[in-house]
Amino acid sequence: MSYAYLFKYIIIGDTGVGKSCLLLQFTDKRFQPVHDLTIGVEFGARMITIDGKQIKLQIWDTAGQEAFRSITRSYYRGAAGALLVYDITRRETFNHLTTWLEDARQHSNSNMVIMLIGNKSDLESRREVKKEEGEAFAREHGLIFMETSAKTAANVEEAFINTAKEIYEKIQEGVFDINNEANGIKIGPQHSPTNPSLPSGSQGSMQGGGCC
Amino acid sequence: MFRSRSWFGSGLWKPKNPHSLEHLKYLYNVLSKNQIVSENNRGLLVETLRSIAEILIWGDQNDSSVFDFFLEKNMLSFFLKIMKQKCGSYVCVQLLQTLNILFENIRNETSLYYLLSNNHVNSIIVHKFDFSDEEVMAYYISFLKTLSLKLNAHTIHFFYNEHTNDFPLYTEAIKFFNHPESMVRIAVRTLTLNVYRVEDKSMLKFIRDKTAAPYFSNLVWFIGNHILELDTCVRNDADHQSQNRLSDLVAEHLDHLHYLNDILSLDIGDLNQVLTDHLLNKLLIPLYVYSLTKRRRHSQLEDTKPHVSSVLSLFLLSQVFLIITHVPLVHVLASLILTGDMDIFSQGASEKLTSCHMAQGTATIKPGFVAPTETLEKSLESNTTCSINSSEPETSHTTECETASGTQVDLDPAAAAENGSVDSKEVNVNITDEEKEQRLSLENGVTPPAPPLPLAGNNYQQQSLANKPFLEMIINTLQCSENDYAALFALCLLYALGHNPGVSRDLLDGVLFLSEKPSTENWYNTLLAERLIRIISTSCQPNCRVRLVTLELTIRLLTKLVMKSGQSYLHDCHLAAIEGAKEESTCLLRNFYKSEEIFLDMFEDEYSEMQKRPLNVEWLMMDSNILLPPTGTPMTGIEFSKRLPCGEVERAQRAIRVFFLIRELSLMLAMEPEIQLPLTNPQSCVQVNNLLDLNNSNLIACTVVSKEGSKIRRFLVIDVIQLILVEPDTRRLGWGVAKFVGFLQDIEVTGDKDDSRCLHITIHRPLSSGSSMNRVPLLSARFIFDDHIRCMAAKQRLTKGRIKARQKKMHMIAQLLDLPSIVQSCPSPPAYTVLATTSRLASSRLGREPSYHRPLFTANTKVPGFATVAMRRESLPPPGRFSPTNKRSDSQERLAHSGHVVRSREGSPKLPRPRSEEIPLEDMGSKLKPRGGISSVASPAPEVNNGASQFPSRRPSFPSLSPAAPVGTTEPLPTVTVPTLEPPVAAVGNERPPAPPSEETSFTQLPSENEAIDKDERKTRRRGMVETV
Repeated sequence: MSYAYLFKYIIIGDTGVGKSCLLLQFTDKRFQPVHDLTIGVEFGARMITIDGKQIKLQIWDTAGQEAFRSITRSYYRGAAGALLVYDITRRETFNHLTTWLEDARQHSNSNMVIMLIGNKSDLESRREVKKEEGEAFAREHGLIFMETSAKTAANVEEAFINTAKEIYEKIQEGVFDINNEANGIKIGPQHSPTNPSLPSGSQGSMQGGGCC
Repeated sequence: MFRSRSWFGSGLWKPKNPHSLEHLKYLYNVLSKNQIVSENNRGLLVETLRSIAEILIWGDQNDSSVFDFFLEKNMLSFFLKIMKQKCGSYVCVQLLQTLNILFENIRNETSLYYLLSNNHVNSIIVHKFDFSDEEVMAYYISFLKTLSLKLNAHTIHFFYNEHTNDFPLYTEAIKFFNHPESMVRIAVRTLTLNVYRVEDKSMLKFIRDKTAAPYFSNLVWFIGNHILELDTCVRNDADHQSQNRLSDLVAEHLDHLHYLNDILSLDIGDLNQVLTDHLLNKLLIPLYVYSLTKRRRHSQLEDTKPHVSSVLSLFLLSQVFLIITHVPLVHVLASLILTGDMDIFSQGASEKLTSCHMAQGTATIKPGFVAPTETLEKSLESNTTCSINSSEPETSHTTECETASGTQVDLDPAAAAENGSVDSKEVNVNITDEEKEQRLSLENGVTPPAPPLPLAGNNYQQQSLANKPFLEMIINTLQCSENDYAALFALCLLYALGHNPGVSRDLLDGVLFLSEKPSTENWYNTLLAERLIRIISTSCQPNCRVRLVTLELTIRLLTKLVMKSGQSYLHDCHLAAIEGAKEESTCLLRNFYKSEEIFLDMFEDEYSEMQKRPLNVEWLMMDSNILLPPTGTPMTGIEFSKRLPCGEVERAQRAIRVFFLIRELSLMLAMEPEIQLPLTNPQSCVQVNNLLDLNNSNLIACTVVSKEGSKIRRFLVIDVIQLILVEPDTRRLGWGVAKFVGFLQDIEVTGDKDDSRCLHITIHRPLSSGSSMNRVPLLSARFIFDDHIRCMAAKQRLTKGRIKARQKKMHMIAQLLDLPSIVQSCPSPPAYTVLATTSRLASSRLGREPSYHRPLFTANTKVPGFATVAMRRESLPPPGRFSPTNKRSDSQERLAHSGHVVRSREGSPKLPRPRSEEIPLEDMGSKLKPRGGISSVASPAPEVNNGASQFPSRRPSFPSLSPAAPVGTTEPLPTVTVPTLEPPVAAVGNERPPAPPSEETSFTQLPSENEAIDKDERKTRRRGMVETV
């Protein structure tokens, strides 16, 4: 599957905020929202289109690896974008954002685009963190902000795609050194080496885009 | 594709509820009817696989019969069958993702065991996917990683087969340890760590016996090559062109070290032994330590052995000691560096390791940075497939080493030893006379002749550095002859050695720390101390090429070297050298002391910056920029402290910081608290909500109109350093509550063109107040007064208050800098306040006395506003006790005299902070009267001369600083080489051409006190400190 760029993302945030669910919802959105079914995954990839260009997103969840300093460090460094997720129904997950952000800023390359995500926006009745608070935090720290629901899929697409747009803009501005793969950005091969009979997205499965 | 759609669309056979056993049965039918993957059913299969994942997770959480059916029909075998056909990445990826989802989400342990029980998962693991497809690769490695997160003492048996000595999850994964894709490498590392932490003896034995040597030798080779790449990058980038690449390579090295440390920290004895052995003998000694001997000037000599520049090796070794704490490793490495000689390149670390009780003799390998003889894949194959009998770990080691030395002759250990000794000889050939001299003296255990300092029997530490080529190299690197490029790394390495918990105190005793051995108690390494002191002295020279970060680290090391639990054991001669450096730094700063407005702001800003951000060596060592030769231009984006100053302003900044650093050191060595900095003592400031006694104070009623248009009625109080807006206290007549406070020095007042009763007042946030990001003014509002006259009065008082607040601080700086002239332009407090406070002062202010009796070079002049300090401090209730009557009388007296508003602060919350040193603005109009009783003017001249004669060649000489002397001639000389008095202008001209001396001289050449004041005020007005309309 050919692409113009490949962006690597990581998802960070406290456990239980729905990181892997967001990931699965985005990469394999056919997982229909069902009550009492939480389902997630640690890795996913999907093709999107920005500015007429095919861009592949690879998303790596870092859950369960916090015990090893070397691992978190390396993940941060290898990513071009990070989704920093908290749970709007649990105040403490919001309070921990500063620590996450410090970690991210310390280990990542300075150009990494960070998007703040208040997840579980479907649980309005149990909300503990106001949307305005999320907005204020994002403004203060120069992040993009969005409230999402992995369950209803609300804003999930937008979250990942807006982050990609920001990275794409940075590439256009020449901020990112695209020849340096350590930044989490890769230039795609000119032509897809794999099965040409299966253009990307044609099966309407992994690729959210052009389904027939 | 179309078919798949129609199938689902029609829903003919498909049960309505996607989450039910029926649906799974339906999917089973689909799978069994489509066992052969074809162009036509790909889409259907993918959709089916995806649905299976979903329904299984639903079943796991809701209905156990779903899982039973899945197992009963052995549906996992379908997965395998599909996989074994060349089905293309599209199906493969979904298959792997389905498995990922399965293993990630299953909560029911029994279900998990069933899934793992029939060995299908291991078959999937060993399946040769098309790993050239990056997507397949990513999903595959994620799958393995997900599995590794499920490992525990029970599940391990599904993956590791004791009888067949088979552990595909681990062995397949580590084959990708050097995959070009970083995320894949990280996943492999995660997996290995997850495996190692499972407590299963036989599995760990397998890891150690069958995989450790091949894996670690390959890993170490991989790391070593990264370092060679880093070296090339540094060598080729003197112009800071590839900072990005460099920073990646440095970060990568840090990642390696953190990974190694994560393994070592799991504390698996056997495994650590193999790893330590490989690290020391195959990487750290033959590459890192070996490169220490590669000083730059010898690099032209052909050396066939791989090595990096000595600067880089210092940097890398610092990182090693900052990160890795495994005792056998760091201890052996530290002792090799501190005491080892060239023999280690032939002998390796075996001896040390054995003596370090961790190696049981035979396992150590021969040293040398050499490539593994075969790929990891091959070694793993031969290791795991060969008969179980040959499971002795040594076998693999020795064969590997033998072949290595056999094939690569020039890397043979014997040759290495030869090379090593040749190198060490050559060092002698290629050095300058000066170095030779130093070398000789080093070998004889005598300190270099430069400053002939008496040695208090410290020979024992210097038992000839000659047999310690590495330590000698480090110590020699501390010379900042051209610049501090390499010296900084030597300092870092010493710092890292001293702070590594794994390096025994014994080893560092008398080397980096005060000796604790009874025979040599409290002795310190004088050689090192002198080298450090020389760096400190050099930093105080104008235009020197020592960076601030180097100075700060040097000071840090020196205090560690000569101090123990707050007590300094520095010899007098060394202490004198430090005091001399302090004088020089003061001299240097004096040249920048200007009455220009920015100087004060800079001074305070630099102070708070330094307090906020003390040096963090770990972070420093993460910064790849310091690997490039030091530059002066800020355009490289390198932080100020890590480069040389650029331009006059930065030189002033630097001088300020050098002054602070050395002043702090000097105080610390003298065991005295800092009482003069910061200039503003937050303790003595009014805080919002403080209650103030405003009886008899000048209060100006006003209405504050904010930008948003809100109007508040307040009373304006102008204190010595603060502007306070109060609201009357409802409970006590004449008292008020502070509702807003701001510093007068940060104020900006302008009149209103249209309204003569109006003032626009902006109070800027002090830079030192913390958030440097937030530069929104503290207050920006329109003040409306009752009438034109009150408005004028307020304006005048604010304008004047600002000038005076700033003048006061400038005087305090002058006092810090021992600038003598200031005393004349500065008033002393009225006599009665002195009387009122001296007695109380005697007891309460005793703490500050010592600082005015500095042992050396005391040049304190009479201090402006000193009495008020005392009085003011007295007037503030100390924590825990206070006497309202005294305070009241004080403030009222002062009020009566100066016409300034003074507040008392009954009941205001106060932090206990005795070191406070706030000198409030005193009325500039009052008469000068020196207060010897408090400021204890020392007669500095003889002491200064003592100091000067002690260091004739290096110390600046100070003329008499007697306050009574005519100001024009008391300009202290900034020169460092000429011990005689020279006309100040000449000195300035000679030494610091760029420093404009005009303001300075205007400060120092005031003929009389009254004129001084006038001129001072005129000048400040002329400079337009406050916008007067």
